Amino acid sequence: MAYEVTLPRLGWDMEEGALGGWLKQEGDYVNAGDLLFTVEGDKAIQEIEALDSGYLKFAPGAPSPGQKVPVGTLLGYLVTKEELASFGQSKPLAVQAASSAVIQKTTPKPVPVHPQDLSFQPEAHPRRIYISPYARRLAEGLGVNWQQVKGSGRDGRIMAQDVQATADRQATEKVPAVAPAPTPSVPVSAPATTRLPMTQVRRSIAEHMALSAHTTAPVTLNCEVDATELGVLRRQLKDDPAFAESPVPSYNDMLTKIAAQALLEHPEVNARIEGNDIIQFTSAHIAVAVDTERGLLTPVLRDVQSKSLRQIARESVVLIEQARQATISYEALQGGTFTITNLGMYEIEYFTPIINLPQCAILGVGQIVPKQVVVDVEREILAIRQRMALSLSFDHRLVDGAQAARFLQRIKRLIEKPYLWLAG
Amino acid sequence: MREMTYTDAAREGLAEEMALNPLIFVVGEGIGPRGGNFNTTLGLYDLYGEMRLRDTPISERGFSTICTGAAVLGARPVVDFMFLDFELDALGDIINQTTRIRWMSNGRLKAPVVFRGGVGIASTGPHHSSNLFSIFMHLPGMRVVTPVFPADAKGLLKTALRNEDPVMFLEHKKLLKTKGEVPESEYFTPFGKANIVRSGKDVSVVAISYMVIKALKAAQTLEKEGISVEVIDPRTLSPLDTDTILESVSRTHRLLIVDEDFSPCGAGAEITAQVMERGFYELDAPVRRVNGVFAPAPYSPPLEAAVVPNETSIAQALRDLSAE
Repeated sequence: MAYEVTLPRLGWDMEEGALGGWLKQEGDYVNAGDLLFTVEGDKAIQEIEALDSGYLKFAPGAPSPGQKVPVGTLLGYLVTKEELASFGQSKPLAVQAASSAVIQKTTPKPVPVHPQDLSFQPEAHPRRIYISPYARRLAEGLGVNWQQVKGSGRDGRIMAQDVQATADRQATEKVPAVAPAPTPSVPVSAPATTRLPMTQVRRSIAEHMALSAHTTAPVTLNCEVDATELGVLRRQLKDDPAFAESPVPSYNDMLTKIAAQALLEHPEVNARIEGNDIIQFTSAHIAVAVDTERGLLTPVLRDVQSKSLRQIARESVVLIEQARQATISYEALQGGTFTITNLGMYEIEYFTPIINLPQCAILGVGQIVPKQVVVDVEREILAIRQRMALSLSFDHRLVDGAQAARFLQRIKRLIEKPYLWLAG
Repeated sequence: MREMTYTDAAREGLAEEMALNPLIFVVGEGIGPRGGNFNTTLGLYDLYGEMRLRDTPISERGFSTICTGAAVLGARPVVDFMFLDFELDALGDIINQTTRIRWMSNGRLKAPVVFRGGVGIASTGPHHSSNLFSIFMHLPGMRVVTPVFPADAKGLLKTALRNEDPVMFLEHKKLLKTKGEVPESEYFTPFGKANIVRSGKDVSVVAISYMVIKALKAAQTLEKEGISVEVIDPRTLSPLDTDTILESVSRTHRLLIVDEDFSPCGAGAEITAQVMERGFYELDAPVRRVNGVFAPAPYSPPLEAAVVPNETSIAQALRDLSAE
């Protein structure tokens, strides 16, 4: 049986090279692993070992040493003793045909020998793994470590069906979805992930927030206010028999009322941009951020300026419940002119709320904490007061810092002196 | 449902619209008493006479540009080029004036001219076989329509006659005598809405114009080999219904585009780019194209057979793509 000896490829981009010289004589018996010939590549001369055993026979018309020829050019054969005798003598054509037939069957690629020079050894580098974009995404979704998958596509490229087959096998073998750690020669795989489809609400929030972050010029003002009197008012409302049948106004309800009053007095904040114009609103539609299982929703309390605190409390209870039960209508989430968001129940004080476009501003409400404060500097009197943190984010495109500060100052004053509401 | 030929169906659409709208008229060489080289206006001269079926001298640029003026003034001209290749003599004004006047006048002027003509290789040699799809797709303001089935030939021509932009209505000559079902009641086929003419789950094929017929035959062959092929007829190349193509690719994850027109900068290149841009992570294999050979159409039948995609070459491309 004859084996072809051809010019090997010594690097992925090598297209041609030259036979440096034979290290065996024609007719010598060569064992697999013996150094057989040298190859002149671009940078170095390399010794090449035989993959098979047999008697060396130079190919008729083989390139002479130093002559550049394409990779895969036939240099010689390794043949049996009987074949050696017949080669090039009695019936060379028949044998050549036979050997090429053998070659076709046994060596699909013209790399029948291993290079000796380590620096050229392609196996020393991890093979680049080819995988289709869809197969890669599918693998991530199914938790398949695709670096371990054997590809069946062109040149071993991993296709979706290979990933699917691996996933199916893992499922039947009841192995954990995460594949075993890769071998050292393989690049470290990405950490295991869970892929969740974005819900409609999440996507809508994502788009809305990104739009706000990219288009507004947000500034956040922080201030601490004394909410002691607000607490007193809330207790009085709670104790009032008139509220036995209807919901007691929450701090949010009271802040909604306060914000509406402040907005009417500061219409520049109760505004939005439309084209090249600023539109100011004469009524205060206040959106209240509600945390629901589906994500953040902001139902709107309409015309707060003309409603009593009792009405606001009644409406907000219904809206919040609808938001949580996912029965709220699209309309009830539209048309706000200002938003209040409260993270006090999570013991947060200050934060930077993101403006709820197309509105101009949003009031972040922090937790109410009892703190020791100076109430009379002259007489050096300290007292424990209920302090509340406020964070007002506003769009600097619409209003300036001083305007927004005056607005926040007004809110502070209305919180600290609830009797002022009576004036309307 | 009744069966009609492609040409008869298109002519019925033209006749219906001409009966409804007296501002529609047709110009072209031999479209008068003779009824058109491809029977596009057969019988209409007897109904509407010379005022609305006007034979012209061999002067493509002249009559196309006159029609652009007439369209701007409110008429609805149909320019019948017979072989679409002849439109090349009028292209300067079509590009510079017809497709741009609406934009240049800030929308006040419109030039809704319907340009129609036979495209494709049909034993017609280098001067009568152009497709030129991508040249027209490259013009803002131009609608490019490639009906494949008789029903669409009628429905798309009626839509073209009510469209507000210039339309390139491209009828492959090998389709003209094909028959198909055509509804009797009035209907319009919308622009920008591709038609999935065969459902499949393994590979999607977008085939353009006559190639839809060839792709359907190749799909039948492959069904016997266990490869299920979906065939999409875009119907209009501009506007192009990329959504339907992407939706199909998101099910099959493989796409072949078959176009008799040339591959460089062709319709397939545009579709490929859009699918890559919007659907990269749906692709399980590179998008492939089968195109007519990049050479003028030969007249010799054996040479012609060698340059046009056929069901064998399409089937082989589908096999390769499935194993890719």
